[in-house]
Amino acid sequence: MEKTHLFRADQLASGYDDKIILKNINLEIPSNKISVIIGSNGCGKSTLLKTLAKLIKPSSGDVTLDGKAISKIPPKKLAQILGVLPQSPIVPEGITVSDLIGRGRFPHQSLFSGWSKKDYEAVAEAMEIMNVTEFADLDIDELSGGQRQRVWIAMALAQQTDILFLDEPTTFLDITYQVEILDLLTDLNRKHGTTIVMVLHDINLSARYGDYIFAIKNGRLVSEGAPQEVITDSLIHEIFGMKCVVIDDPVSHTPLVVPSGRYHSHNNAD
Amino acid sequence: MKNQSIEFNFIQLGMQKRRRRWLLVTGILTLSACLLCCLMLTLGNTVYPVNDVIRSLMGEQIQGVTFAVNTIRFPRMLAGLFAGLAFGIAGYIFQTMLRNPLANPDILGITSGSSVAAVFCITVLHTSNKIVSIASVVAGLATVIVMYFLSKGRSFSIGRLILIGIGIQAMLDAVISYLILVSAQQDISAVLRWLSGSLNGSQLTELPPLMLAVIILTPIVVIYGKQLNILELGEQTASSLGVSTDKTRIILIICAVFLVAIATATTGPIAFISFLAGPIANRLVGVGASNIIPAGLVGANIVLIADLIGQFAFEYRFPVGVITGLVGAPYLIYLLIKMNRKGEL
Repeated sequence: MEKTHLFRADQLASGYDDKIILKNINLEIPSNKISVIIGSNGCGKSTLLKTLAKLIKPSSGDVTLDGKAISKIPPKKLAQILGVLPQSPIVPEGITVSDLIGRGRFPHQSLFSGWSKKDYEAVAEAMEIMNVTEFADLDIDELSGGQRQRVWIAMALAQQTDILFLDEPTTFLDITYQVEILDLLTDLNRKHGTTIVMVLHDINLSARYGDYIFAIKNGRLVSEGAPQEVITDSLIHEIFGMKCVVIDDPVSHTPLVVPSGRYHSHNNAD
Repeated sequence: MKNQSIEFNFIQLGMQKRRRRWLLVTGILTLSACLLCCLMLTLGNTVYPVNDVIRSLMGEQIQGVTFAVNTIRFPRMLAGLFAGLAFGIAGYIFQTMLRNPLANPDILGITSGSSVAAVFCITVLHTSNKIVSIASVVAGLATVIVMYFLSKGRSFSIGRLILIGIGIQAMLDAVISYLILVSAQQDISAVLRWLSGSLNGSQLTELPPLMLAVIILTPIVVIYGKQLNILELGEQTASSLGVSTDKTRIILIICAVFLVAIATATTGPIAFISFLAGPIANRLVGVGASNIIPAGLVGANIVLIADLIGQFAFEYRFPVGVITGLVGAPYLIYLLIKMNRKGEL
């Protein structure tokens, strides 16, 4: 398959300034699948995503795409294969939705090239996938949080990359919009074979939507694999420090984590 | 499939419509700048017909006309046109890069830094025009570097940058006032223009540095204009779209500082042009594409209109900077109130 890429990290360490957050990460992103990075707050999952995406320079080790170090790939060339949606993108005041999404075409346009038919098609397609076509001529300030987030993802889609990284794409959204966005991303993966890697907060949505899970604790990769293998009582206790019961999700038959807590449990009530 | 092609057309039409608006507005601004240039040449104590003005500029000697047009009005027009372009373009670059209309060369103290160097060279060192230009550029860049280190702190904050800029600007303006007070009587008229900016007494021999800077640097910043608009989406988005963020920023800042500094060395700090041009251009065109050119043209239009008003609207002749200051100051206050309300300050 053309869209298949080998994306690896070897002996990766990374952090901010002098503080090392990630240590000795070795992983390979499963191609054409949806991978989810999970872990508690401050464990380094976002740092991992940023380091893999070349937004942070690793302090040691390599990230390679198809055998080539990503630091050696020209920025525009990399941007044609790998798209990233950061956690808090900045909106220029007064911009129109389709113009903003059109900026995702930057890596495909050369200095003097105008807008080609292909560029317009890519924008229209991205808008259709993210279901934002009707907003095309609106000012982005007029949209709600969930709509805005879909516009941002559409901008990353207009980039037409084979690999897409998303840093907490559903944070601050109501549950309805969280599920909507994850469904749309799954459409993208199923229809176009796009490799998706995302950081998610919600462990149950991670288990449902992820084909593959990377579990991070204190900057180390402690477990990886299919949700059924990784998400167990003992692993959740290990990485989140919380007792829980893992049951079968009645809708998706993926693992469902039910926290124990100190109150409201059946044994106490009796 | 049919449905999709309708949607596709509707999106494309919207985008093309906005791009046509860019062309239309840019065309109108160019025409009005040309018209204002003609007015600058024909109007004066005596109004000369366009015909005589053209013949005189072509080198024909016409009694009375040649001196007034070739020696006084033509250099004045060129100085206003190019200084307006330079201030407008540089202002737009800073405002877009820092995502804040307050972050322009006037308020960041860059204009004042260049002014101090120019005044110092003229009153104390009595250097040539060339040295004045070079010193202005160096001082402008030095101001940027000082600003960068002072506002760096733990993390970059635009609010801190602007406040420090206002402080530096006040200090530098005090230095200019001091230099003017101690300067020799015969330098006063040359130095006064650094208080508010003026096109009075512009000479053809002073103009080449400014004209060259605008002609050479404008294509460079236009090429980087696309990157500038991507940079506006934030550091991480820009990197992930394949923009070399550090390189783009450095090139654009150096170009913008050159434009501001050389324009300041030529006409003095014409108040608020770099502040007003960008937002007006964005309002006229929309913010979809790069507005570097429209911002430059808006700058040129404001300078030329303000100079015509300053020359002919009142009993006394006012330097252009006084007029632009009268227009710009209320806008600054309006912007401060608006930003304060939105909690952006």
